[in-house]
Amino acid sequence: MAVVPQFLRRTGTTTNRIGRPNFLVYGLLIAFILGSIFPFYWSGLVASRDNSVLTDHLPPLLPGGNFFHNAARVFDTVPFWKALGNSLIVAGTVTLTTVLFSSLAGFAFAKLRFRGKNGLFVFIVVTLAVPTQLGIIPLFIAMSKLGWAGGLQAVIVPNLVTAFGVFWMRQYTVDAVPYELIEAARVDGCSMFRIFWNVCLPAVRPAAAVLAMFTFMTSWNDFLWPLIVLDAGNPTIQLALEKLQSGYYVDYSLVLAGTTLATIPILIVFLLLGRQIVAGIMQGAVKG
Amino acid sequence: MTTIEKIAPESAAGRPGKSARPALRDRLSRWDVKYSPYLYVAPFFIVFAIVGMFPLLYTAYVSLFHWKIGDDDPSFIGLDNYTALFADDQFWNSVLNTLSIFVLSSGPQIVIAVLLAAMLNMRLRGRTGWRVGILLPYAASLVALSIIFSNLFGPQFGLINNVLEGLGLDRVDWQAGRLPSHFAIALMVNWRWTGYNALIVLAAMQAIPKELQEAAIVDGAGAIRRFVSVTLPLLRPTLIFVVITSTIGGLQIFTEPKLFDAQPGSNNGGSTNQFQTVTLYLYQSAFENFNLGYASAIAWVLFLLIIVIALVNFLVTRRLAQTSGGKKWL
Amino acid sequence: MRQIRKGVLIAVGLAMTAAVTTACGGSDNAATPAAAGPGEKVELTVATFNQFGYEDLYPEYEALHPNIKITPRKTGDSGQYHQELITKIAAGSGLADIQALEEGHLSDIMDKSSKFNDLSKIGPADANADRWLPWKYDAGKDKNGRLIGYGTDMGPLAMCYRTDLLAAANIPTDAASLSAMFATWDSYFAAGEQYVSKSGGKAWFDSAAQNFNAMVNQLPVGYLDTSDKLTIESNPGIKSAWDKVTNAVAKGESAKLTAFTPESTAGFKASAFATKVCPSWMLGTVKEAAGPENAGKWAVTAAFPGGGGNWGGSYLTVPTQSKHPKEAAELAAWLTAPEQQLKAFKAQGPFPSQVKALASPELQSETNDYFGGVHAGQLFAEQAKKVNKPQYKGPGDGQIQQNVAGPALKSVEQGTSAADAWNQFVAGAKKITK
Repeated sequence: MAVVPQFLRRTGTTTNRIGRPNFLVYGLLIAFILGSIFPFYWSGLVASRDNSVLTDHLPPLLPGGNFFHNAARVFDTVPFWKALGNSLIVAGTVTLTTVLFSSLAGFAFAKLRFRGKNGLFVFIVVTLAVPTQLGIIPLFIAMSKLGWAGGLQAVIVPNLVTAFGVFWMRQYTVDAVPYELIEAARVDGCSMFRIFWNVCLPAVRPAAAVLAMFTFMTSWNDFLWPLIVLDAGNPTIQLALEKLQSGYYVDYSLVLAGTTLATIPILIVFLLLGRQIVAGIMQGAVKG
Repeated sequence: MTTIEKIAPESAAGRPGKSARPALRDRLSRWDVKYSPYLYVAPFFIVFAIVGMFPLLYTAYVSLFHWKIGDDDPSFIGLDNYTALFADDQFWNSVLNTLSIFVLSSGPQIVIAVLLAAMLNMRLRGRTGWRVGILLPYAASLVALSIIFSNLFGPQFGLINNVLEGLGLDRVDWQAGRLPSHFAIALMVNWRWTGYNALIVLAAMQAIPKELQEAAIVDGAGAIRRFVSVTLPLLRPTLIFVVITSTIGGLQIFTEPKLFDAQPGSNNGGSTNQFQTVTLYLYQSAFENFNLGYASAIAWVLFLLIIVIALVNFLVTRRLAQTSGGKKWL
Repeated sequence: MRQIRKGVLIAVGLAMTAAVTTACGGSDNAATPAAAGPGEKVELTVATFNQFGYEDLYPEYEALHPNIKITPRKTGDSGQYHQELITKIAAGSGLADIQALEEGHLSDIMDKSSKFNDLSKIGPADANADRWLPWKYDAGKDKNGRLIGYGTDMGPLAMCYRTDLLAAANIPTDAASLSAMFATWDSYFAAGEQYVSKSGGKAWFDSAAQNFNAMVNQLPVGYLDTSDKLTIESNPGIKSAWDKVTNAVAKGESAKLTAFTPESTAGFKASAFATKVCPSWMLGTVKEAAGPENAGKWAVTAAFPGGGGNWGGSYLTVPTQSKHPKEAAELAAWLTAPEQQLKAFKAQGPFPSQVKALASPELQSETNDYFGGVHAGQLFAEQAKKVNKPQYKGPGDGQIQQNVAGPALKSVEQGTSAADAWNQFVAGAKKITK
């Protein structure tokens, strides 16, 4: 189709002669990234030195050599690996189930016809508006009655599928999966589930990747509910980090070393999933 | 003929001569179409029934009582909690703070997020790196955030004030005044959430067929024109999503103001409640003043407030994204 | 191919969910049998916050009592810990067999005292009033005389000061001058005024709230009287303390720092203030915050305005939710015995509140190198004796101190007029005690 020959493009405000982004774009992006990264860089500085950096008038620019010493102290002070493992189990499970069930529900709301569809969907969106702070008490009561309090299931089950996930997948699926494809699959005799699995899922892969990243991170950083409901012997990573703050005087370099260590798994997940945010699988399918 | 129809009455296509088997398959197929949607949306409602419904009903129930934590025999007072709430200065103060921070944060945030997504949608080098980079703030642990931001905004020894002084400007007591504190908190919120929203918009942008963009280029439309007339209208479902979730999130802001307070762990929202949001006031009423009934009333009023404002934003977004796409991109 | 891989992923996810749901054991309360016969292991959970110094004591107790297994639950931050405690009281389950409780939150618990066991009934006989300082023991009782908590540590007050800064301002720091300077709050603030002018505008103390709290704690009647009525408007002591402190702030004596924040640490390093109200546990904080470069410059004196006082300290309670109250009470009594408290003191520093521990030679000979080799143990033991009248702390007292008085004074330091801030203070206190 219309692949524009490069010599026909104009040099625009944001693109150069060959249609690639120009310096303005890169400049803005770099500025934004620097602003985003600065607090991490600074906390890495403190974690690799000691507390005195906190109070320096202008922070030093280069990291010091103390990081591994602080990291070793983190491992000694708190059950880091166990907490890491717990967080991986919790975040991993929640991410998988949320993405699966949200895609499923999003598919249903976006592409299928059934009675009460709009009402149910609006209900789901409305539940997003409920403030969650008070829910801790009744939720704890519920978990105790079910006998789940203290174990990881108390942290996993309430997050198995979220209203946010359903809402997001439905919005994305509306445009990303053309009706023609679904009709074609129906004519071919596919069941609903096969249509979901073979037609819808591949098309919504970028959205699913984004949802997976968000869900993983939100679960990883969750603090208040795990604090209340998990046993002391079964912490997640954020709870373990909190223990680094004991004592009247907080060793900030130690705490920041711990949080830096805890951010590394998230980075790995990012890098793995980040490449998935590329669409284009189903683009040509309709035309062909 | 009638006999054949009697033999295979379920055959919707009415194809004569078929045995009962395809009839079953047809029936299953129709059940599949009719009932599978309910099956697919069921997981959410099952989980919700266990972990969402009960807290909701509990909170509604408790709000009708004078219920202090640890009370074994709370007294029923009907809607008194609600009437007391509407006469409560601190509540209205928190509403004002919430709206102010919301406007300062969500407005710029959405605009920047969309622009960021547009830039990331281009043919950049090292795409994944940029995407990871903008989402990085969301990965920060809350424990680290409180240390980092209290050090940035500290009135006497904070980094931002040191830089301001270095530039010859006045130091600002970020935590003292109402407006400075709102700016600072809005900055914290935007720092944390802009990349998040940008990625959502980016994912949707990636789904827009490149052919539409290319056709627009052939027709001579510049980048900005293309963006307004081609991209934005096609982003409408996502924009609606971002606006609604940002509205809800923005009105429920809790973590950032709590971490910003000079006194660690305080739910006060500043020495004169200058940045106490509604959720902070809710939390304070429940866990500091132990007034569970009152806190539940606050929760429900906030819920209604959010619904109203989200609805307004939704209608506005729907209208805006409509008119911009009304004209053809040529 | 891709289908199969996806299928595997999903199967793994579901299997993990299933495994987690079945394998990860249930709650600690539900499974434990109510009564343990002889020979059966009894598991006791002990929940503490911050640093109680009990880590080595648990194995020692287990060795003495082979049928007891102790599971510690430690939370770093006191605020988080107490919020969890309140939530679990509200939920009716999830509390440990022994729950530590800080003095500031004691008042929150007292009107829920029915949720805690009476330790004088179920605890061993030797854990009685003779063991502790009288005010410490009495403060652990509720209105009906039930003993809710065994005292652990305390925070006798002394005054820390910078020898070098005072010397630079030509203020004498010999014992007699210190006694005179720190005899009363009036003389303390007057000396502060002198220091500000002589040192060219440096601050005398770090934060108004710290001084105000010490002053209010010394009053015969606190924020609430014994019938749990708010006294803030009728109590002359509170208003006079308020006026003195806010006047001092107006004269520039406050460094306007908030305790336990990075700013406060920076303030220590920058030598931003010359004196500080120092409970015994504050010595460690000063040492860490001021850093090795200021070693020997900070000193501590027993001369404290108003004589003495107490700030901080905790109790061990046994909630009624516990399935083994008797065993828990025994453990709590053992942990709070003078011998064990001394061991905890050696490990992490919480200052004993038990009479025998205070008199013990180990405590009396304890010195602190950072503070110039002062006999800190002896000094604080003497200060501990000066606390004689326990102030009644009604429900909401701790909240008023922490969440109303603190912010109100902070706003004065930030520029609000003292009169406006006082109104805010009164309004806030009324809201809590409504």
